Amino acid sequence: MIRFVNFSAAFGERNIVQDLTFSLPANSITALIGASGSGKTTLLRTLCRMNDRIKNFRIAGSVLVDGVDIYRPETDVYALRRKVGIIFQKPCVFPKSIFDNVIFGVRERISRREQPDRVEKVLREVFLWEEVKDRLGEKATTLSQGQQQRLTLARTLAVEPQVLLMDEPTSSLDPKSTAAIERLVQSLKNRHTILWVTHQHAQAQSIADQVLVIERGQVSPLRTPMARPSTSSTQVLQNVQGCPE
Amino acid sequence: MNEITTEKIVLAFIGGVTFLIAALLFFILSTLFLKGVPVLHAGFLFEESGDFGRAGGIFYQSMGTLILMGVAVLLSLPVALGSVLFQTEYLETGKFKTFLTQLTYILNATPTILFGLVGYLLFGVYLDTGVSWVTGSLILAVMILPTLQVSIREAVEALPEKYREAGMALGLSRPTQIYRIILPQSFYGMVTGVLLGLARAAGETAAIMFTATTFSGIRLPQSFSDPVPTLQTHILVLAQEAANPESIAQAWGAGLVLLGLVFLLTLMAWIFRTRVVMESEL
Ligand SMILES: Nc1ncnc2c1ncn2[C@@H]1O[C@H](COP(=O)(O)OP(=O)(O)O)[C@@H](O)[C@H]1O
Ligand SMILES: [Mg+2]
Repeated sequence: MIRFVNFSAAFGERNIVQDLTFSLPANSITALIGASGSGKTTLLRTLCRMNDRIKNFRIAGSVLVDGVDIYRPETDVYALRRKVGIIFQKPCVFPKSIFDNVIFGVRERISRREQPDRVEKVLREVFLWEEVKDRLGEKATTLSQGQQQRLTLARTLAVEPQVLLMDEPTSSLDPKSTAAIERLVQSLKNRHTILWVTHQHAQAQSIADQVLVIERGQVSPLRTPMARPSTSSTQVLQNVQGCPE
Repeated sequence: MNEITTEKIVLAFIGGVTFLIAALLFFILSTLFLKGVPVLHAGFLFEESGDFGRAGGIFYQSMGTLILMGVAVLLSLPVALGSVLFQTEYLETGKFKTFLTQLTYILNATPTILFGLVGYLLFGVYLDTGVSWVTGSLILAVMILPTLQVSIREAVEALPEKYREAGMALGLSRPTQIYRIILPQSFYGMVTGVLLGLARAAGETAAIMFTATTFSGIRLPQSFSDPVPTLQTHILVLAQEAANPESIAQAWGAGLVLLGLVFLLTLMAWIFRTRVVMESEL
């Protein structure tokens, strides 16, 4: 589904990652762990070309999504970003109603009649429907942080992405909301390829099918024994080149 | 001299200057009120002026001022908005962008008589459009363009980057992004800009004096080439008849109305600006 080939990224003279070659299997959860400043966010944003607006951001090599290099000049970035959704560390809801927030990315794409169904469907997927079904017209800013993060996830799901990038989605949340989000990604993984960034080993090992570590500009599979080894983690091992195994 | 003495001197100086400015402002306002209020009568705003401005009201003068201001904003707003969006959404940060920004600030500080002069030469002399409300509106439109631009750009730039990113991440195209996020989120800032632009146009006399206005003989313009009477010209012409107490009194009355208009616009701008702050804190 996603493949980095000899990929390097830099801000000006400052190299963030160098010569990465690895891939992520489809329909599974991959966790990416690494210290703060190690380039996790940069790598995620690269996958949906969110760094395009940053002037001194440079890349080399290629990033393939569904076998197509997303940095080709003829890439439709808007279509790419609909296919590869990203959830940021801090939830950012628009100062509009809950309904309007959920529908924000598809308002021009689906008819008015379909909108309520789409809203209900994705709010159910993120386990938020029961909490907000009677107050869809209220401002989304009145929700708690945890609810807001689930709302942004619903907003992204409404666009029907195939890939979900989650950048430390629970780091600003309380334990209960964290558990809710961890549980809900499990239910999403059979239809989405998920890349989950975290700096907590325990979280990575409990939620993910395979864990990657980013360190000194390199990405490699986690080598300590996994709490829950699965076949797909060995698959990732094979996919990572230059790994010392 | 120790620090405390220095501080006291500085404080006394700042206090003195502030007091002086406040006193001056108070003096102007109170004079305007004392002299203007007696002229105001029930029909002042809605009656035609008579006897070469010495009697009656200022209805058509007010209309003329409103026409010039309104058309100027209508002409200026799309241009200002377009150029701001081009600068903030499309142009990459760099020397050219900085240059454009500086240019707007310089234009904003240009004495208005220069706009009048250039407008007069361009329209009145070269294009020979004559003295008309269209010429005046065009000149005012150019004049308030930088004011509008600065206010609108400040509003757009005050928009938190996270909203842009959230829209971008959902795959919104740039026009959709502008229409769905940038415009609604900076709406109050834009209104503020328009109101300040209007206030600036309302206060303007020099630029329209020889290009758009007339003192008497016309009510509402009947064609594109007609001039209009305005409050500004009215005040100026009447005030020059210093020997005639009725003229002077009428001038004060018209001045009070003009001040009221500007004050109202500024107040509204201030109210809207307060709302901007509230919005951006969400
Ligand atoms: N816009 C930018 N311009 C320059 N350097 C940046 C920019 N964004 C991030 N960086 C740098 O890239 C490095 C990696 O950042 P990031 O990907 O955010 O790390 P992480 O998410 O792992 O904490 C950091 O050293 C950071 O300073
Ligand atoms: Mg980060």
